[in-house]
Amino acid sequence: MATHDTDVQISICGSAGDGTIAAGDLLKQAMAHAGYRVIAFNTYPAEIRGFGKCIARTRISTEQVYSMKPRSDVLISLNDAHAIPHVGEVRDYGSVIYESAPITRLAEGQHISGHVRPGQLPYGLPLRELSERATGSNRSRNMVALGFLAGLYAMPREVFHAAIKAKFKTKPKAVSEATIAAFEAGLEVGAQTHRFDLVELGEPPESLPGNVQILSGNAAVAKGCIEGGLDNYFGYPITPATTIMERLAHDLPVHGKRMLQTEDEIAAISGAVGAGFAGARAATATSGPGLALMGEMLGLGVMAEVPCVIFVSQRGGPSTGLPTKTEQSDLNIAVHGGAGDAKRIVLAPTNVEGCWRCAGKAFEMAEAYQTPVIVLLDLYLSNRFESVNFDPDENFNLSIPRGKPKHRPGESFRRYQVTDSGVSPRSVPGEADGLHPATGLEHDEFGHPSYEADVHTAMSKKRHDKLNKALKHPAITISKRFGDTGKVDVGILAWGSTFGEGLEAMMLARKEGIRCAAMKVVMLSPLPEAEISAFMDDCDEVLVPELNFEGQFANLVSGTLGRPLHRLNEVTGHPMSVSAILDQVRALAAHNARNAA
Amino acid sequence: MSTPLHYVIIGNGMAGNAAAAVLREHDPECRITIISAGALLFYNRYDLPNVFRGTESWVDLLVHPPEYYERNRITVRRKSPVIDVDSKRQVLVLAHREELHYDRLLLATGGEPYLPEKLKDSRPLMHNFGTYRAAMTMRAALPDGGRVAMLGGDVMGLDLARALIETGHQVSVVTDERTFWPHEVDDQERPRYYEALERMGIEVRDQGEVDRIVEGAAGMPARHITFACGEDLYADVVMPFFGIAPNVDFMSNSGADMERGILVDGHLKSSSENIWAAGDVSQIWSPKSKSYRFYYGYRNVRRMGETAALNMCGEAVEFDTNDDDVIEIDEAGRIQSPFWEHD
Amino acid sequence: MQAELKEPVYLEDKLKEVRSSGRLDYRSEVLPTWCPGCGYFSIAEGIAEALTALKIPQKDAVVVSGIGCASRFPFFMETYGFHTLHGRALPVATGIKLANDDLHVLVVGGDGDCFAIGGGHIPHAARRNVDLTYLLFDNGIYGLTKGQTSPTSSVGFTTKTTPFHNHDQPLNPLLMLLSYGASWVGQAYAGRPHHLAEMIRQAMAHRGFSYLHILSPCVTFDKTDLTYKNMDLLVRDLPENYDPSDHRAAMQWAAKAGHEHPSLGLFFSEEHPTLSDNMNDIVARATA
Repeated sequence: MATHDTDVQISICGSAGDGTIAAGDLLKQAMAHAGYRVIAFNTYPAEIRGFGKCIARTRISTEQVYSMKPRSDVLISLNDAHAIPHVGEVRDYGSVIYESAPITRLAEGQHISGHVRPGQLPYGLPLRELSERATGSNRSRNMVALGFLAGLYAMPREVFHAAIKAKFKTKPKAVSEATIAAFEAGLEVGAQTHRFDLVELGEPPESLPGNVQILSGNAAVAKGCIEGGLDNYFGYPITPATTIMERLAHDLPVHGKRMLQTEDEIAAISGAVGAGFAGARAATATSGPGLALMGEMLGLGVMAEVPCVIFVSQRGGPSTGLPTKTEQSDLNIAVHGGAGDAKRIVLAPTNVEGCWRCAGKAFEMAEAYQTPVIVLLDLYLSNRFESVNFDPDENFNLSIPRGKPKHRPGESFRRYQVTDSGVSPRSVPGEADGLHPATGLEHDEFGHPSYEADVHTAMSKKRHDKLNKALKHPAITISKRFGDTGKVDVGILAWGSTFGEGLEAMMLARKEGIRCAAMKVVMLSPLPEAEISAFMDDCDEVLVPELNFEGQFANLVSGTLGRPLHRLNEVTGHPMSVSAILDQVRALAAHNARNAA
Repeated sequence: MSTPLHYVIIGNGMAGNAAAAVLREHDPECRITIISAGALLFYNRYDLPNVFRGTESWVDLLVHPPEYYERNRITVRRKSPVIDVDSKRQVLVLAHREELHYDRLLLATGGEPYLPEKLKDSRPLMHNFGTYRAAMTMRAALPDGGRVAMLGGDVMGLDLARALIETGHQVSVVTDERTFWPHEVDDQERPRYYEALERMGIEVRDQGEVDRIVEGAAGMPARHITFACGEDLYADVVMPFFGIAPNVDFMSNSGADMERGILVDGHLKSSSENIWAAGDVSQIWSPKSKSYRFYYGYRNVRRMGETAALNMCGEAVEFDTNDDDVIEIDEAGRIQSPFWEHD
Repeated sequence: MQAELKEPVYLEDKLKEVRSSGRLDYRSEVLPTWCPGCGYFSIAEGIAEALTALKIPQKDAVVVSGIGCASRFPFFMETYGFHTLHGRALPVATGIKLANDDLHVLVVGGDGDCFAIGGGHIPHAARRNVDLTYLLFDNGIYGLTKGQTSPTSSVGFTTKTTPFHNHDQPLNPLLMLLSYGASWVGQAYAGRPHHLAEMIRQAMAHRGFSYLHILSPCVTFDKTDLTYKNMDLLVRDLPENYDPSDHRAAMQWAAKAGHEHPSLGLFFSEEHPTLSDNMNDIVARATA
């Protein structure tokens, strides 16, 4: 990496009450506004309250990056008991920052300085004392530590001040002043501390153009929903999708729209289907267990050709599973769930910006193809923060013209008319001349129940054919290839957040001389068969890394295309590591070379 | 299975690290903790003049890479000054209030540069060289081709002087009874040695007492030394090289006998139970001279560490050195000191 | 209870009256699939009469159903309709109403659809006062699947799934809906079609969540319990001096009601803000 490139990951570890997450939030806001690219992920205690461990990790870089690093460059300990198990996470010649003056005597091993690895550099300072001197209480130790970090690495103090003021703008001025005082107390010490570590924080790149915000995946979803014209949201709390609902509970009414927390997931999807039937843009968000409950109603949406959007943030499964761990094991039910041949559109963004784009486009696509659209995220993506450039996108909130209800005198409206494209004219309640029943039974063009062989065949074909147009829907990337063009040794075919790790592995592999390319697949249903096939044509070996046990996406691809591929499956509850993918790529390339020799 | 012994070594220099290596070799199961007040792993102080020969980073100075300590399971606690030793309970207290129990303790804290009383006020205007940080600071303060005034001129200073002259800088040595420390050069021999220094390219200022050291005026070198005799010396950097004084502040509670350093027998054992000492901090009983004496120099310090470790493991090994601490002038007229050989 | 003897009614006159009333507009050309004699025919008539009387445009009416014999309703009405899933009519109807306050939403369902699988949704639609009309066709049985016990079946009722005996205590729907805070609760009987039509009209006219419990015999699968013969003898009106604004009295009457002594009429009615009103209130607070 060139010497001016910055790629520093800072971990702050403490107890739930130490302001660990708050410090991480200020750090990422400050760095994003200083012009760095930022990607951040927090881990929270499994239990809600009390003394659980939190870790706020923030990766700051000049070049675009796509994942968190398995090793951090700096660890700040706000609570040694929690941080000690994570000391090994810091790389050689990285820094460990900690409290140098605990108030009680400690037995051997209770202070983190005794666990600092030989290759790491220790920096202790009296956090509590500095906090008390600056603010009169010890509650600002986190700010002192943050200031020390800023002083040690010569970070611009103004962006921190601005972030602190923005955070406390609804509180009395004394609060932000005290916080800044604690920050400055730490900064002064940091600036005067001689630095022995080899962590380099260079200048930020040229300011990113446009409107840069640092958002989590869920927040980006909510933003995309508002900009995509969401009218009605129905939701039920479930980790890790709950914050989508909470944001919309605030943002929708502010925009004059409506949000309802329902009694269960079935009511939530039912409300969305009802509102969609009535002509509104409607959505809900859930996780795997909720999606399982929604299966029947999803099928009704498909059969009755009602538009609605379902955001699903995957977590560890099966069943209640691991609610606070990430996984990618709901592809099967997202693509196939529900009774019968109930094909629908499924999108899976790969990063925070993608969450925003897919959310915005989902409503448009639901209406264009008159079908439920599932947007599949995962816990890691939902909770990951990234700095994103939100240029206004005029392609959102397209109002799809509905086919004008054709009224043939004496005849009812043909809501389910079989057309070339498969898309029928659509009327909604309140429109004259468009009366029709919608039903979950198989039906004729008027919507009346019919079980005739030719009717079921024609309607099944219509419902499947119309989705193929989604493959060409404008202004959305459904798949994309990166890296070497033409023939390659190894191709990485990935989806969801794992694509980020795959992309970084590809870059490293190319640096080692392996011809390597990566393809992200965003539309999982219908599957972009032509693009994936063309990609596989170019690859001697194809690797499909994903966070589920058997390879759900691998099954989908190989089942549809019938071509060989290699699987890399992990169910650790954590994002896949770049090195795990890279090791596989190397092995495949070597195997390939041996066979060619 | 018995609990492994915990060997604690205070001091992260040559003596301490040599001891740790021997301890690990002899007792694969034991716990070994080295405690250091500094931030860095062991680097050879004697190699610091290499900052003038291209060394840019302390990483290049390390004697062992980090993974050596991981492989040998030697814990190196840094930034952990010891504030108390309770030899009865066999407990150390670190500055951050952590208490460590030891089964065997080795004191290898080395020494600080000695500064005569009369120069203490001038300390802020002087540069040291004994640590990486001091060396880098001094290097930054010295312009290309600049002049260093070395007060005293012990062998470490003279070693640095060689590097400075080699790289185009200028050196003046302001002589004192401690010039050539730890070697003792009697008055009759001195002129010959001063001539040898001059042949090395060093300017020898044998002009008696220093009166004052002040900042230089604008446009002049950064430091101005005036002698009691009225002479002046202008230099960019002034450095004290008066030898070393042992680091023993925290040992007041230890019960170990001390003089200037920790007094130890021929097995490097102190008068306190389970406490040994090695390196610049130790004064070893010499039956020959019937006194406790210091041994300096890279090889001696290493041997002391190794010997102490063997004794801590239960062997009975006398400290023995062939290294004469004799300074000589060779046939070519160059000064040779065993302290300049560090391999 | 006996109707007074009236003038004879001639078929041609009746046809003329029906055709000119306009209420046939609300009936589609699809013939109902119910068994002859099913109480649902009366209900269909009653709904058409109510829509006519209230002058609700067809395009603004949405009939929402679940699964069951009652669920076929949307196909027999010339309005918008949504034949949804077993037990899920209410939450879908809530979504429809939230999307467009101007729609008149009519939810129909049977006792199994509403109180078995759908039981979890009723309290919330009721307590939120969603402005829709819920017509509950209670025949004490699962008719579409050909005769199984339902949550309102009597103790002792034998069916294909309780061939020896039914021990389960039946639910008391009126008591439940009152306790859920429904703002309009009434009961009618398919054997009294004129009263039924009037109750439907009142239910639809009410602004808020209206629940009309309609006793409707299943002539095919229940020959012993909820039959016209038994009901004709058992049903009675609520007393003359009954005060439908008294919630406690309503609950006491409802406790006494049930299949043994069903009372017909308006049990309870009051006005309070609907879900749409409350949604508008939230927007007002959010944009203040």
